[in-house]
Amino acid sequence: MSVVTDSPVHSSSSDDFVAFLDAELNASSPNSSPENEAENEDELEIVRIKRQKFESIEETEGSTSEGIIIRNLEASAEVDVCTHPGSFGNMCIRCGQKLDGEAGVTFGYIHKGLRLHDEEISRLRNADMKSLLCRKKLYLVLDLDHTLLNSTHLAHLSSEESYLFNQTDSLADVSKGSLFKLEHMHMMTKLRPFVRPFLKEASEMFEMYIYTMGDRPYALEMAKLLDPQGEYFNSKVISRDDGTQKHQKGLDVVLGQESAVLILDDTEHAWTKHKDNLILMERYHFFASSCRQFGFSCKSLAELKSDENETDGALAKILQVLKQVHCIYFDKDQEDLVDRDVRQVLSTVRSEVLSGCVILFSRICHGALPSLQKMAEQMGATCLTEIDSSVTHVVATDVGTEKSRWAVKENKILVHPLWIEAANYFWQKQPEENFIIKKKQ
Amino acid sequence: MFFHIVLERNMQLHPRYFGRNLRENLVSKLMKDVEGTCSGRHGFVVAVTGIENIGKGLIRDGTGFVTFPVKYQCVVFRPFKGEILEAVVTMVNKMGFFAEAGPVQIFVSNHLIPDDMEFQSGDMPNYTTSDGSVKIQKDSEVRLKIIGTRVDATEIFCIGTIKDDFLGVINDPATV
Repeated sequence: MSVVTDSPVHSSSSDDFVAFLDAELNASSPNSSPENEAENEDELEIVRIKRQKFESIEETEGSTSEGIIIRNLEASAEVDVCTHPGSFGNMCIRCGQKLDGEAGVTFGYIHKGLRLHDEEISRLRNADMKSLLCRKKLYLVLDLDHTLLNSTHLAHLSSEESYLFNQTDSLADVSKGSLFKLEHMHMMTKLRPFVRPFLKEASEMFEMYIYTMGDRPYALEMAKLLDPQGEYFNSKVISRDDGTQKHQKGLDVVLGQESAVLILDDTEHAWTKHKDNLILMERYHFFASSCRQFGFSCKSLAELKSDENETDGALAKILQVLKQVHCIYFDKDQEDLVDRDVRQVLSTVRSEVLSGCVILFSRICHGALPSLQKMAEQMGATCLTEIDSSVTHVVATDVGTEKSRWAVKENKILVHPLWIEAANYFWQKQPEENFIIKKKQ
Repeated sequence: MFFHIVLERNMQLHPRYFGRNLRENLVSKLMKDVEGTCSGRHGFVVAVTGIENIGKGLIRDGTGFVTFPVKYQCVVFRPFKGEILEAVVTMVNKMGFFAEAGPVQIFVSNHLIPDDMEFQSGDMPNYTTSDGSVKIQKDSEVRLKIIGTRVDATEIFCIGTIKDDFLGVINDPATV
């Protein structure tokens, strides 16, 4: 049968196959055309009856008469109470009805056009949580720039970095290299040392997501470099095009319970709503343009022809922290598993870094003092404002202050504020000898 | 479902194509313009099969372009609500699976997958029955029923279900 000019639009429900067939069959009979308008209502009735007959014919094939009645009732009940769990191309994914497309959160990074509503998202999160807990895994959200890699525009490479053009690794077998030139994006990317062992070990403890403030093509390219087999980040690459708020990252687009997500990022202010889940990373500056972007005038790692230490660098240290948190989370009694919160475990681990230290601050500028004090307290230290015999460390920038001189006299340890920041980045008390204040000449 | 229909289109042709090969140029331009496009009314134009009629060309005022009304026969593909289709699975995740039937993207949500099939994550995420006899994973062929369609400029989106009788996996790639 070939349709010539009459398109299905003329029938009352152009979407419906049955109605379309009926319309065509009626059109071919001689007395239908002139009376089309008037017979519309009757046609609808006929169509409805025919559709029911059609469906019941389908059902008699495989079920008893009782079954038909129950199924019909069930079918109509289902249509009435469809909760519209989500939409794909603005159609409900359960009943096919056209939806407005305003409710819920868009999950464009999974597939174009997919949108899920809040109840469905909670249901999925709960279901996923159970499966993850069985497999002893948590969620880990990873940032890209300055955390796992450093990228720069080809035009921004300094003259001292131009030797890198000859040292780029082949894009054919990405798993062996760490420095890549992406011609079509005019970029050069350097992966942070230890990133591949880090990802491999972390993938055994965590289900990982990438969340970057770059755009989607960039994010997907970087995911291909980090994960050429697609085993870690398959449809879990979130870019700024997928975020719900401008300039802010959020866990609303991550299909995991907030109480089981850890975040690894170098930028604190991108995660204002989820500070408790965040592990702050020391920034990776390989290229000069990256140093300049953050206001550092020193030579970059590329210019110095050196790199971060592989086994002792930031990623290796953070991997130890992740292992520790994971271990503690899955260590307690089985009954508590569902109520456990990774944020609490994180703050417990953090509070052990400087536990036992009693810190006295001396002449730290007023702007930096509150945050420094909060950092120290989160790490388990006690902060005092007056001289006291229980003090173990005095933090100052100048050896000449009253408190500094008191510290030297009483054999207390005198350190630069960077000692506290280093402990924050490395999750370990750093040797104080490396943070002695230099005497002003 | 596929249809073989006659459509009409006004083709604009630049004067550089006038000459001996006018008709060939017109036909090749038509094919380039129309094949692969989508419309709400006819669906996806798969291929132009023949030219029925090319009308008289009208010169447009102000430019040298000439407009020809062309009637052509073509094969179109349009999914309908209620239609049963075979599709190839392209992505499986905890929300359901995505399948492709030619240019049409179909999503089958896990609400419309039989309850005895559970999602298994891992290297090759899949939906599998409790006894492991039926498995839906990437590249499986499934027979599904369309319950909703939506057409935009270049793509057709559909919602499908495999919860009814006789729907589901046709061909398991693991056993092939």
